[in-house]
Amino acid sequence: MPEHMLIVDLSSGRMRREEIPPELLRAYLGGRGLGVRLLRERHTLSPFDPAMPVVFAVGPLCGTPAPTSARIEVVSRSPLTGTVYDCSAGGRFAWRLRAAGLLAILVEGNSPRPVVLAVTSAGEELLPAEELWTKGVGETVSALSGRGSVAAIGPAGENGVLFSSVMMGEGNAVGRGGLGAVLGRKNLKAVTVDGDRTVPVADRVRFDRARADVLRLFRASPVIFGELGISEYGTPALVDLMRQRRMAPTENFRRTVFHGSSCYSGPAIRAAYGAKKEGCFGCPIRCKKRASDGRSLPEYETVSHFGALNGISDLHAIVRSNDACNDLGMDTISAAATLSAWGEARGRFPSPEEIGPLLHDIAHRRGEGDLLAEGSRRVAEALGKPGLSMSVKSLELPAYDPRGAYGMALAYVTSNRGGCHLRAYPISHEILRKPVASDRFTFSGKARMIKIAEDTNAAVDSLVACKFAFFGASLEEYAELLAGATGEHHTPQSLKEIGERIWLTERFYNARNGFTRADDDLPARFFTEAGSSGEGIDIPPIDRARFGEELTKYYRIRGLRDDGSFPDDGFLGRQP
Amino acid sequence: MRSLIAKYAGKMERDRSVVPGRAGIAAQDDVMLSEGAPDLSRLAADVLSHLSCLGVVAASPSLPFAEFLLRRANPDVKTIVPLDTETRTFLHDIPIVRREELAGNPARVIAALLSNRKGVIAEGVGIVASGPVTLEQAYIHYSSVFHACYVKYLLDVLQEGFLLPGEGEAFRAFRETFLRPLTAEGLSFRAGPLDDPGEVLSEIRAAGRYTVERGLVDSFFGNISYRVGGTIFISQTAASLDELAGCVDPVPTDNRSTTGITASSELLAHRRIYEATGARAILHGHPKFAVAMSMLCDVKDCPVKDCWKDCTRVRMLGDIPVVAGEIGAGGLAVRVPPVIGGPGKAIVYGHGVFAIGRDGFEEAFRSMVDVENRCREEYFRRLDTRGGHPSTSVSHIHSR
Repeated sequence: MPEHMLIVDLSSGRMRREEIPPELLRAYLGGRGLGVRLLRERHTLSPFDPAMPVVFAVGPLCGTPAPTSARIEVVSRSPLTGTVYDCSAGGRFAWRLRAAGLLAILVEGNSPRPVVLAVTSAGEELLPAEELWTKGVGETVSALSGRGSVAAIGPAGENGVLFSSVMMGEGNAVGRGGLGAVLGRKNLKAVTVDGDRTVPVADRVRFDRARADVLRLFRASPVIFGELGISEYGTPALVDLMRQRRMAPTENFRRTVFHGSSCYSGPAIRAAYGAKKEGCFGCPIRCKKRASDGRSLPEYETVSHFGALNGISDLHAIVRSNDACNDLGMDTISAAATLSAWGEARGRFPSPEEIGPLLHDIAHRRGEGDLLAEGSRRVAEALGKPGLSMSVKSLELPAYDPRGAYGMALAYVTSNRGGCHLRAYPISHEILRKPVASDRFTFSGKARMIKIAEDTNAAVDSLVACKFAFFGASLEEYAELLAGATGEHHTPQSLKEIGERIWLTERFYNARNGFTRADDDLPARFFTEAGSSGEGIDIPPIDRARFGEELTKYYRIRGLRDDGSFPDDGFLGRQP
Repeated sequence: MRSLIAKYAGKMERDRSVVPGRAGIAAQDDVMLSEGAPDLSRLAADVLSHLSCLGVVAASPSLPFAEFLLRRANPDVKTIVPLDTETRTFLHDIPIVRREELAGNPARVIAALLSNRKGVIAEGVGIVASGPVTLEQAYIHYSSVFHACYVKYLLDVLQEGFLLPGEGEAFRAFRETFLRPLTAEGLSFRAGPLDDPGEVLSEIRAAGRYTVERGLVDSFFGNISYRVGGTIFISQTAASLDELAGCVDPVPTDNRSTTGITASSELLAHRRIYEATGARAILHGHPKFAVAMSMLCDVKDCPVKDCWKDCTRVRMLGDIPVVAGEIGAGGLAVRVPPVIGGPGKAIVYGHGVFAIGRDGFEEAFRSMVDVENRCREEYFRRLDTRGGHPSTSVSHIHSR
C-alpha cells in the first residue's frame, strides 16, 4: 500500500501530499527513522532556521490493533541540546493522522502569522490562530475540540523556552528537547488531525497470533500487569523502588535517597486523587492516570524531580507543578532540574510556593524566568557554576541516578539526544529485571548491551511502539506483528539492523554539528561524590577510568574510532 | 565476561542438561570470547558473529529427546510446538534444522533461525540458543528448550510409542540411569513459624537452592515466598532459585508500597493462596513429570481447545488437583487458591507445581517431591501398561 506524507511550507502556505518512496520505509520503517532520514539534507541548519523541518511521523503498525502502537514521533533539531532530536507521544493523534491517509507531516518555513494546521482525510488547511496565541494548552485544545486530535504548544513554545513541549490534547507530551519552541518560531500554534480511514492488515491470521502472544506476555509481566505494576499505579510505581534501590536523585543529585518520597508514591497518588486508568489509543496497559476531576496526573520523573530533586514532599504542590507545565507547554523534567540547579547555585532550593510563579515566569520569560528558560546548562554557566548542571549535552538528567546503575551511566552519555533514559533504557534490566536482570553495579558487558538496546529502541521508535511494551514482549513478537501487518518479512535481527542505521545516522548528524567524545560525559559530581549509601547498599562515586574504558569499548563495538568519531566522512552516502 | 561463561557452563553441567564437556559458549564484548568444547564453542562464536546479541550457547543435551523430536517430525516440518506453558508463553515454537540443511555454512543457517527465535534444535549438533541482552539469557533459553523438549518427548512417547531405531534403548537408559531417586532426605529446614526477617531470607535462599539441586525446577524458573504478618517475602521476577541472595522482595500485603514491582509474576497467586489457606510458605517449581502428566486428559470431544488457559475444570491426579491458567495476571491466581488448601499442593496445567507449608518450607518441599514422584510412577505405569501402544487417555485423571 503506498504511504504518503504531507509537506507543509508555512512560509508560502503551500501544501502537498507525496508518496513516500517504499525503499525509504524498508530502510527506516517510519516514526523516528523516517524523521531522521528526512532531515538528511538539512541537519546542519540551526533549529530556528526557517528551512529546518519538523517531522511528525507514525509507524507501520499505527492504525492496526497492534498493542501500544498508536504513537507519534516528532523529529527535528533541538534548540536545547543542538543535537538531532526526536520524542514520541501517545494519545490519539497518531491514530487519527494515519486515518487521514498519512504516515507523516513535514513542516518547514515560518508562517507570517500564527496558524493552526488542520488535517482530515479530505484535505488540509491552515487556519488563522491569532486568537489562540498566548493561550494555554488547555484552552487551545478546547477551542479546537471539534477538529479531532490536537497537538499544541503553549506560551512556553511561543516564547522560545528551550525545553518547551508539544502537548497532545489527551495530556501526553512531546517533551524534553524544546521542539515546542521550534514550532513557536514557525508560528504554528497547533496541528489537528481527524481521519476516518482504516488501515488494512495484510495477513490477519499471522497478525492476530502475534497480537495474542504480545498480550500473553503483557499478562506475564509483573512490571506491566502485576498488582504493583504500571497498569495499576502508572510510572509512579517506580518511586518506592528507586527509594529502595537508593538511586532517587535528591537535591540536584547531591544525595540519592529522599525520605519524603512516600508522599508522592504510586499508592499515595491513588489515595489522594482517586487515580483512574487511561490509555493511549489501542493500548491495553493504560498506564496514564487521571484524577477524579479529570486532571492528568504526573509521571514518575515528574514527581521525583519536582519532589526529591527540589527537596519537596508536598504531593499537591507537585501535582500543581505538573498541571502548570502541561498547560504552559513545558517539559517537567528539564523545568524541575533547571530549578534545582538554580536552587543549589543560589544556596536554597525553591519552596513549593515559589515554584508555581517561577514556572509561569519561565514560560513567559519574565524576570529570572528569562534565564531559567534557557535550561540548566546555560543557567549554571551564567551563574559561574557550570558543574551544577546535571545534564549531558545540555539535556537534564531524569530521575535515575547513574551512580546506582552503571549501564544507565553509560547510556546517558551515548544517547544521541543528550541525557535521556529512554534511548537504551537499561533501567529495564538493571532495575526492573526485564527481560532478565543484569548487575547494576558493574560496567562489564554494558557497552555491548547499551549498543544493542539503542538499536532495538531506535527500531521500536520507528514502528512506533511504546517502550513499556518491552517489559513483557520483545522484538520477536513485534517483528511478527509487523510482518502480519505489512506482509513483508521482518525478524528481530533485521529490525535491529534498521535501528543501527538510524542510530548511526543520528550520531553522524551530531558529529557534523560539532559533537565529540568530550560531549559524551557525565557531570563531574558523579565521579567525585558518593550517593546516599545505607541499608546494605553502597553508592560510591563512579570510577572514571573504568567508565572511560567502557565508553571506548562502546565506540569500538559501534565501529567508531576511540575518540568517538566516524572512520570516514562517507557514512551517509552509503545509506539508503 | 570469561567468569560469566564459566559460571553458566558450570550450571549446565550441574543441572545435568548437557553432556559433560559438550557445551560451547560465546559472548561478545568489544571482542568475541568463546569457551568450551572446541567444535561447539567455534560454532557458537560463528553463530554469534551473525547476530546482534550478547551470547550464544551451543551444546549437546544430556538426553537425546530434542534430537528424537526432530527425527520423529515429518520431513516438511520446520518447527516443533511443545504445549507446555513456558513454551506457549515465551518460546512460541522451536525451529528445527536437519543435518542436510547444515551442510555448507551451518552457523549462517542457525543464525538465520535464531534471528527470529530464542533457541534452535540442530540435528547432530544439539540445542543452540541466543541471549539478546545478557549471556544469562542464552543459558536460560537453552534451559527452556531443553525443558520443553523433555516434557514434549515424555508425552509423545506416551501417546505414540517409540518410532525410531534406538529410541527404546535410549529411553531405558534415561529411566534406569539418568533419573535419580527424588527425595527430600538429607536436607535441613528450619522449623517454622519464622518471624525474624533475617531467618526468613536465609531459609528462602536455602529452600530455593534445594529446589534446584534436587531437580524440581530448572534454575531460572519457579518462585518461592514466605509470609510474616503483613509482609510477603517473595523471590524477584527473573531470579534463579539457586541464587536468591539480594533477590527477595518484601511486599506489604496492604500494597502501601510498590517496591514489589520487581517481585515474581506469581505474586498475586501467592497472595491469594495465603489469603485462602493461612499457609506461611509457598514453593513453586516445574518438575517435569508433573508438568507432563498435567497435560493428559481423558475428556473426549471437549470444546476447549486452549486447555492450558481456558479449561475451567478441576481435574484430579490421585488427590492432587490439576487446574489450568495463564501465568501472571492470567487465570492461575484465580484457580489455584481455592483448590490448594486441603491437599497442600496443586498442579497447573503444563506449567508446574505449587506446594504450601503451614509453618515452613519442609512441608512444601516434601509435597513437591511427593507430587513429582507420584507423577513419575504414574507415567511409567501407564507406559508399561500400554506396552508401547498409542493412547491418549489417563484413567487416573477425572473431573470433579
